Amino acid sequence: MFKKPKVTTAYTVSRCGSCSRETRAKFAPGDCLFAESAQCPCGGVVTIEMIYGETAK
Amino acid sequence: MSVDFTDFEEFFSFGDDTSPLMMLVWILPIIFFVFYGQQIQLYISANQVKKHVTKLKIYRDESESELMDYISKNVKTASDPSSRIRTIIDYFSIMPVDMDPAGMVPKVRHLVRSRDDHTRAQIRELDPSLDELAQSKIQTLVEIASSLHLVYRIVNHLYLTAKKQKNFPMILPLQMILPFIMEEAKALRDAAPVFKLGQPVGDGIGPMIVGRMMLNLEKKEAAFQTVWARTEMDGRRIHLLKARGPLSSVGRPGDAVEHVISQDKVDAVIMIDAAMRMEGEESATISRGFGAAIGGIGTERFQIEEAATKHGIPIYAIVVKQTVGEAITLMTKDVALRADDVSHQVREMIREAAPEGGSVLVVGVGNALGVPQ
Repeated sequence: MFKKPKVTTAYTVSRCGSCSRETRAKFAPGDCLFAESAQCPCGGVVTIEMIYGETAK
Repeated sequence: MSVDFTDFEEFFSFGDDTSPLMMLVWILPIIFFVFYGQQIQLYISANQVKKHVTKLKIYRDESESELMDYISKNVKTASDPSSRIRTIIDYFSIMPVDMDPAGMVPKVRHLVRSRDDHTRAQIRELDPSLDELAQSKIQTLVEIASSLHLVYRIVNHLYLTAKKQKNFPMILPLQMILPFIMEEAKALRDAAPVFKLGQPVGDGIGPMIVGRMMLNLEKKEAAFQTVWARTEMDGRRIHLLKARGPLSSVGRPGDAVEHVISQDKVDAVIMIDAAMRMEGEESATISRGFGAAIGGIGTERFQIEEAATKHGIPIYAIVVKQTVGEAITLMTKDVALRADDVSHQVREMIREAAPEGGSVLVVGVGNALGVPQ
């Protein structure tokens, strides 16, 4: 009778341009696609590849 | 007197041996339903519709408070802007007369653009120091609140009229269409927080593909809030078009396509967009087809079709299927993961659509919120 409200969490997926290492973190305000997000331990530039939402089932 | 309910012949009989009490048990409800059946149905249907009307009111109020919240945090004004915002939300559009349909599209386009331009100017006036991204977000939030306000008013009007006139046939079509209206209204309500945060929406898959192709290229403004870049791929000249991200805007692809076609001989147009998924289909499936893949009121599609037909250019479409809710709220993981696949298919289409040395125009259709280039 009472439906549980679905909760969607936004994630930001970043990828290193040199070693292709992928990281996923919760979306933070200001995150923007294709923007440089950090520097990879390998020295490469990490850019935001995807921002998406996942709904808990 | 005893009735044997297991003896069906006796129970349903209308012969001489039927008791008067049983006759009354059968006939009274029939008479009652003949006179009051429709009113009972109206009462039941009206109650169901009322629940939806209440929900629509909640959605409208929530979208308005999301808008006011964004404005209070981002807009610096000396006076309280809420009454002005409510006036903008309440704007209406009178569609041009269609008794003589010739020339309707330019009239509708003019009307829609006038409204957009005026709303944009009104928002800019609230706080001239506001950046373009915040302005575009407010404009979209105003459109969401305005749409929900209009839907609520219309549904409420039909419900109250049907109830007042005890008009059962009037409430039936409303009851039939309400699930669809509610789906769209819920999607609009859910879209407001996403637009406030500037997150890419499902509809942004087209701009996302083209935006990625545009990275590190020189960009020009082909039309209002629409960017254009040129590159080469597999020996073909490629023109790329998309709405200027990360603004919450769909740009003016009609004007932009016309402009690009006037600048270079284009062999094919490829349009990438989100498309409505049918029941039974899976979300985020990719499909290819022909024709201008672009939604909206139809004016942009008309303009693109006109330009392509005039120059004999074929239009190819590649779409990523989604529900209304998925298209206007935060992009789902399934859709985002399809980006590489779509890019690969676009490249394949470019090779198929134009010979080496030819030219292809690729248009990423959709809202470019959170999707730069």
